[in-house]
Amino acid sequence: MAAIAQSNKIFSSSSPPKEEEPIVIIKNITKRFPGVIALDKVSMDIRRGEVHALLGENGAGKSTLVKILYGIYTPDEGEIIVEGKYVKIHDPMDAIKLGIIMVSQSPQLIDSLTVAENIILGLQKYGILAPVSRVEEYIRKASKEVGIKVDPRVKVWHLSYTQKQLVEILRAILLGAKVLLLDEAITYLPLEEKRKFYKFIRAFADKGGSVVLITHKIYEAMDVADRITVLRLGRVVGTVDRNKVSIEDVRKMMFGERSAEITYERLPTSKPEPRTVLEVKDLWVIGDFGEYAVKGASLEVKAGEVVGIAGVAGNGQKELIQAIVGIRKVDKGRVKILGTDVTNKGTKYVRKLGVGYIPDIPTRYGVSLDNSVEENIAILPTFTKFYINWGKIREITMKLIKEYKIKTPDTRTPVKLLSGGNIMKVLVSRELTVATKLLVAYNPTRALDEATAIKVRKIIKEKAMKERVGVLFASEDLDEVFQLSDKILVINSGKIVGVFEAEKAKREEVEKLMVM
Amino acid sequence: MLRLIVLKRVKPIPFSGVLIPVVSLVAGILLSTVILYVLAGIPPLGIFNSIKESFVAPTVVKDTLILTLVGISLVIAFTGAIWNIGSEGQIHMGMMFTTWVALFSALSTMPLWAKIVSVLGAAVFGFMWAAIAGFLRAYTKVDEVPVTLMMNYIAYYILDILVYGPWKGKRTYGYIRTDEIAEPLRFQQLTVFNIKTTATWEALILVIIVFILTWVLLRYTTLGLRIRILGSNPDILKSAGISVPLTIVLALAISGLVSGIVGAAYVLGDTYRLSYPLEEHTANYGYLGILVAWLSMLDLRGVPIAAYIVSALRNTGTVIQIAGLGGVGTMFVFIGSVLLTYSIVRIFSEYTIKIVVRR
Repeated sequence: MAAIAQSNKIFSSSSPPKEEEPIVIIKNITKRFPGVIALDKVSMDIRRGEVHALLGENGAGKSTLVKILYGIYTPDEGEIIVEGKYVKIHDPMDAIKLGIIMVSQSPQLIDSLTVAENIILGLQKYGILAPVSRVEEYIRKASKEVGIKVDPRVKVWHLSYTQKQLVEILRAILLGAKVLLLDEAITYLPLEEKRKFYKFIRAFADKGGSVVLITHKIYEAMDVADRITVLRLGRVVGTVDRNKVSIEDVRKMMFGERSAEITYERLPTSKPEPRTVLEVKDLWVIGDFGEYAVKGASLEVKAGEVVGIAGVAGNGQKELIQAIVGIRKVDKGRVKILGTDVTNKGTKYVRKLGVGYIPDIPTRYGVSLDNSVEENIAILPTFTKFYINWGKIREITMKLIKEYKIKTPDTRTPVKLLSGGNIMKVLVSRELTVATKLLVAYNPTRALDEATAIKVRKIIKEKAMKERVGVLFASEDLDEVFQLSDKILVINSGKIVGVFEAEKAKREEVEKLMVM
Repeated sequence: MLRLIVLKRVKPIPFSGVLIPVVSLVAGILLSTVILYVLAGIPPLGIFNSIKESFVAPTVVKDTLILTLVGISLVIAFTGAIWNIGSEGQIHMGMMFTTWVALFSALSTMPLWAKIVSVLGAAVFGFMWAAIAGFLRAYTKVDEVPVTLMMNYIAYYILDILVYGPWKGKRTYGYIRTDEIAEPLRFQQLTVFNIKTTATWEALILVIIVFILTWVLLRYTTLGLRIRILGSNPDILKSAGISVPLTIVLALAISGLVSGIVGAAYVLGDTYRLSYPLEEHTANYGYLGILVAWLSMLDLRGVPIAAYIVSALRNTGTVIQIAGLGGVGTMFVFIGSVLLTYSIVRIFSEYTIKIVVRR
């Protein structure tokens, strides 16, 4: 009950504590890992009532810094001052006692319990009856406030990713968070839902809470933060006021000279060959809720052609892609790859034809977090026969690590210890290697920072131009669709509603069809 | 204000691989001591002495070998997060085939071949028996826990029917049981430093072979990698184009295969016959093996050690009875207590639970 009373206080108190002194001060934090300095004398402060973005490219040290604040890592040098007191944070319990709570990109909820039970588990009062009804009421209220429906009595495995993330954040607030660390917690949500979270976070900050938003997306930082601290190669480049800087300024801070490489200019058009690698004819696919998610979609990808599907998330692109690679059942219609009918023949069959696949929710369908980098490479049948030659696998893995600059201590490190961007690199590099004929992708660059994302797009384009691989990808990021595609399809309510030559396509027209 | 906070640990406890089994063992033994003292009045000192004695008893070697095999069998399934509770049934299927070979087949006059065929055939029977539950789990999504458990009883009863009927022996002095397997067909007694144990050479060789093959399977084959990933993230198997149902069936069936071998080793090296009713004559190795697998923390290298410890606890029951302190049944107090403390320690190792005082 105390927790709820407390959280209500956060939301309802009209006069937030006005203190000049920042709630958290970080002084000269240094953290070394074998072979690398992850953080080099990093200092920053977090004020009460602010949303503070911690921005940096993949491997800049953002994750390491918040993990130190949350007690997952301990710093080699430096000091942390919370509410005027020097503190040592040895584990997450220490952090929680100080009111510092982290929500990460992968939900930590227990699937077999209900939403309310999950939350109560975190804050059960000692001994006396658990305030189930009050918790349920709070969840309902908050979920209404945010605009994302969550039924507190539903078991967690029923929830979408967005709903889970909301529950995680509500749980943190109920635990009495004064400083909320969002480690890419909302980065991967669809744009529309992300905006709902922004409003919610802002409301939390307005009532005196502090939010540290860890992100590699400049737009996200600019959209919601009051101040932005930019990290690069383990050092603080600077802390700036959002209202006093332009996107270009921040980009320069983030990437240095490399910021010149960042451009959203269209990549050169790849001339397709007459050969068709993928043909989808009048495809009908049933979605998660028993209704048709794809309603009669037809499309074609030629060898060497890059086809991008633009659309607002949830319009059937996920189901379309899954049906093509054989993970989801096709209800009606046909899928042909290289002239072979693969409709409902299963992923194994599709993969054998030389198809690479970058799935939705990479940490679930793309890699196994508990297994090592090399095991995540070896799991694809393309790389192994019955007996695994680990020497050879290690060689392939090392090559990919080098080529894609994957930051990992070694090939045997569990993937879960890598940063989000590096996890995505493991997946993307593996699938690009496997895709000798066709690449099918959903949001192929979503966990990557701008510079890396552009590099991956260039590699994809190169594969199409040089190796004549056909590419079909769906993306919620219109910039990506325009930069990478040779042909643009627009999907809306499960139907392909527009086909454009990318060279001639107009953004406004595509956008109009997307939301029509 | 007091609050109880339960949180998933982000950082694993250092040395948890050793710490968890050791702590649960010590706590489990202390708990059983308290239970046996309070409920049965057995003096704690007597219990500790019995435990000490049973760790060096020659009989412990036999159980260690057998339980190492069962432990390996269960580690294979558990690694894939497939909860095989049916080792008992798979063992009995192995026993059934072995008894048939040794008593009723033409091979009963060719000892070496009888032994080889018994082991291989028992493996096949264990494999098939477990595969039934595997298919149900993989293709119809029936939970494997109740299925494997109930199939243990089906296995017992099939053997009961055989022993009561067609396999009933001629020289059994009124007992309902089969005849004894002829001397040359039995496994040879193992002697260590001139001490005769009740274990057998063949069981030792089987343990070594199975251990190495399982190690290779889990570390160096794609099937092993798939089973390991099945335990951590089956969804990625799907998108890699690997059949999840087939991996489930194989994980359970291979686990059954090893359990089947146990059946052969048990009949040829220990009982030499089947006695009716089987469910009352079982040594419960299939269930004890669950504790072995958990105490090994699903690490193959830990299995022999865990098997040794569980065997010692099992023998403590006998020692206590011989010492006149209690019945053989006390062993279940030890086994049960350790399983209980193990479960509790595991929860504490995966979650932090703290009471926070806040004003």
